[in-house]
Amino acid sequence: MTDAATTMDFYPKPASGQAKPWAFPAPERGALANGLTVLHCHRPGQQVAAVEICLDAPLDAEPDGLDGIATIMVDALSEGTGKYTAEEFAAELELCGATLESHADYLGARVSLEVPVSRLPRALGLLAEALRAPTFAGSEIERLVRNRLDEIPLELASPGRRAAKQLAQELFPASARMSRPRQGTEDTVARIDAPGVRAFYEAHVRPSTATAVIVGDLTSIDLDAVLAATLGGWGGDSAGPLPVPPVTADDTSRVVLVDRPGAVQTQLLIGRIGPDRHDPAWPALVLGTYCLGGTLTSRLDRVLREEKGYTYGVRAFEQVLRSPVPCAADGATGASVLAISGSVDTASTGPALDDLRTILRTLAAEGLTETERDMAVQNLVGVAPLRYETAASVAGTLADQVEQHLSDNYQAQLYARLAETGVGEATAAVVAAFPENRLVTILVGDASQIRAPVEALGIGDVKVVTG
Amino acid sequence: MAHTAIEQAGSGGLTATEHRLDNGLRLVLSEDHLTPVAAVCLWYDVGSRYEVKGRTGLAHLFEHLMFQGSAQVQGNGHFELVQGAGGSLNGTTSFESTEYYETMPAHQLELALWLEADRMGSLLAALDEESLENQRDVVKNERRQHYDNVPYGTAFERMTALVYPEGHPYHHTPIGSMADLDAVTLDDARAFFRANYAPNNAVLAVVGDIDPEQTRRWVEKYFGSIPSYDGKVPPRDGTLPDIIGTELRAEIREEVPARALMAAYRLPPDGTRECDAVELALTVLGDGMSSRLYNRLVRRDRTAIAAGFGLLRLAGAPSVGWLDVKASGDAGIPQIEAAVDEELARLGAEAPTAREMERAQALLEREWLDRLGTVASRADELCRYAVLFGDPQLAFTAVNRILDVTAEEVRAVAAARLRPDNRAVLVYEPVTAEDTVGTAASRASAADGNGEQGGAV
Repeated sequence: MTDAATTMDFYPKPASGQAKPWAFPAPERGALANGLTVLHCHRPGQQVAAVEICLDAPLDAEPDGLDGIATIMVDALSEGTGKYTAEEFAAELELCGATLESHADYLGARVSLEVPVSRLPRALGLLAEALRAPTFAGSEIERLVRNRLDEIPLELASPGRRAAKQLAQELFPASARMSRPRQGTEDTVARIDAPGVRAFYEAHVRPSTATAVIVGDLTSIDLDAVLAATLGGWGGDSAGPLPVPPVTADDTSRVVLVDRPGAVQTQLLIGRIGPDRHDPAWPALVLGTYCLGGTLTSRLDRVLREEKGYTYGVRAFEQVLRSPVPCAADGATGASVLAISGSVDTASTGPALDDLRTILRTLAAEGLTETERDMAVQNLVGVAPLRYETAASVAGTLADQVEQHLSDNYQAQLYARLAETGVGEATAAVVAAFPENRLVTILVGDASQIRAPVEALGIGDVKVVTG
Repeated sequence: MAHTAIEQAGSGGLTATEHRLDNGLRLVLSEDHLTPVAAVCLWYDVGSRYEVKGRTGLAHLFEHLMFQGSAQVQGNGHFELVQGAGGSLNGTTSFESTEYYETMPAHQLELALWLEADRMGSLLAALDEESLENQRDVVKNERRQHYDNVPYGTAFERMTALVYPEGHPYHHTPIGSMADLDAVTLDDARAFFRANYAPNNAVLAVVGDIDPEQTRRWVEKYFGSIPSYDGKVPPRDGTLPDIIGTELRAEIREEVPARALMAAYRLPPDGTRECDAVELALTVLGDGMSSRLYNRLVRRDRTAIAAGFGLLRLAGAPSVGWLDVKASGDAGIPQIEAAVDEELARLGAEAPTAREMERAQALLEREWLDRLGTVASRADELCRYAVLFGDPQLAFTAVNRILDVTAEEVRAVAAARLRPDNRAVLVYEPVTAEDTVGTAASRASAADGNGEQGGAV
């Protein structure tokens, strides 16, 4: 047979057509009589609506010794209400084809609902019931606590989760909530009971400090009437803003090796802290971080994956942890974790870390190229219409903006600012974010195999821990 | 047919047209102008079921090689060009398919078509030893990351090997074994490409904000001259008797954090009414937070942290229903297994209630709304039905078929299929690190080679 390469007709690479305008959707902002802030956004054709409820119940508000109570509290909202038992409530939601998820984090707690729009009114009724009248029955809280205690070892068995726990413990002082696992430890979770959960709910869940984000094809919905009949019936007093403790971190260059005898790979997590999205350099940081480790053709994977084959993929990213209103009276400033994450086969651990550090050094010495910067802008800005095709993705970003005290048009402006960011700014931001000698390196792997090659790199102290 | 969330259940008024080029390439077009994006899905009718002994993992490794350049695309150019155009891309390999996706801003659609045509027609011009060696290492690290270095990571592989007998085309999973990945040669890769990567072995779906006439002209221009290939060897026969006839069983003693009970049931193939009925049965039993198994094991008995059932639909072999229960605290497997068996038998004896049917159908309808809700996953579904069942339009009516199933049909299929003599059971018993030395291979030998005749161990 003839090689197809010689028989097909070749044409030059086509030029692009005319770009069609697209903008990140602007929500409409309003408030209900009970003080609940409402953002809604009509997305034509999106038959699955998304609702995000942002609650001002961040992890820093958890009482001492009860780490994990915010998570148990938001999970328990759907485990029985005035009208329904836990089983009945779950069935009612699923009869709508709805899914309900909850999560508590440093920025606040979140309840996320997705449901076909035709059943949105019914599902909002259930959501309002959960927020307004949770039972917090002793036996349900006991079950959630036991489940949580069962889940902790399951999660820590995952090398990625184990590395994240260790990085938090290394970066932040032991007194800071951020140094400890978001969902608590065996000790703290075991202390959580129904009265404690109710007290936390009463202290931190109220419409006046909450925001509802509603996105989807709302053509056939009389939203005002639906809201009045559902979330409008949620009552509560008012409350001032919570204190925002400052964030400090120790990024002294060092290595912590979590020993996993026999592991065939080493999980890497290399990080420190950086600014939040209010920082004027944030767009440059996003751009530079993408060039370093945003995709398979970024600097890290170009060498570690596509040249050396050490890994299935290594990524650099930023994750906001604290984002107060700028110029807050207490002088608190925002913070994010900046990190490089991935896994490499055990035998390649030393060489991969060595290459990784060379990549950071070269980046600092030579900077990014114009081509890299252009590719990054074209990708980050160009994928926006794809990324925000579903209602859930739009609602998620709008809720992030609310939690991070950003304006409703932050994301829309971010795209414009990315396009204006030059290669010099992007280089400066990523070099400042990932200085080779100010990073904490967590390795989860087989110490007997990797300790010596890692020590030989001279990164800093190498401490071995178990678990 | 009650309880639909939208008027034209599932389809939401979506349509698709079908075309065929002279070289056999099938094209499916579906317009949707709500967002200025266009999805390209190119589905090749080849997957791990085509692999032979000693070359498991070849289809998936080959998928990686498709991103290493072709006649007019240098190195990682495929990635760079798509991402630089504001697009996203990926490839995926399963038992029955190898799929390539680009989702593009609508004005960059032509680039994606040009790129896919270039590698379909001229991959061998660029394929070399260096790319093969590099991607072999990458795939081995993919295997380590997703399977070997994760608790329970090899469960699916082990269960597949149990439920499909030795020598069956689905006995091994797409990731393949380390030894076989090491054995792949450049000649294997070249032969695999020639045999399977021809236009008459593929379906191309383009979905989104497109001009159908213009899109057809582009597809004709870029793909039209690629020669077809008539020597493709069909996959080995995957049919098996409806019932295994005996319970297959293996106990794994590994360093895992909790006991687990997993089981794979042999179920009707995709494309049959019985498959839709069994999906409803599995949903009643094990999907969501108010399924029978969740309510029983997690809420009432409190013997499990999580309990659920999933369905892997397969067209060329029996489908698989996968039970996954992680034990809570000290709860023992016999107690959990007895409860599961009781719930399965109960469904076989008595049809689900109207309310249970409504819940299961609402959940599955929601799943279809999600699948048809983005241009990329819609393109995927159109390809799937075109390749496996010859008719892409079936994607738009899939939910209607699920809503059409009766409670009695659900009971009947549960009685016929969800029984102990029609499953492979995998039990995980945690051990500490010291205990694992020398016993890592566990007692899974009961699995291998037991096949149809295997006895319960």
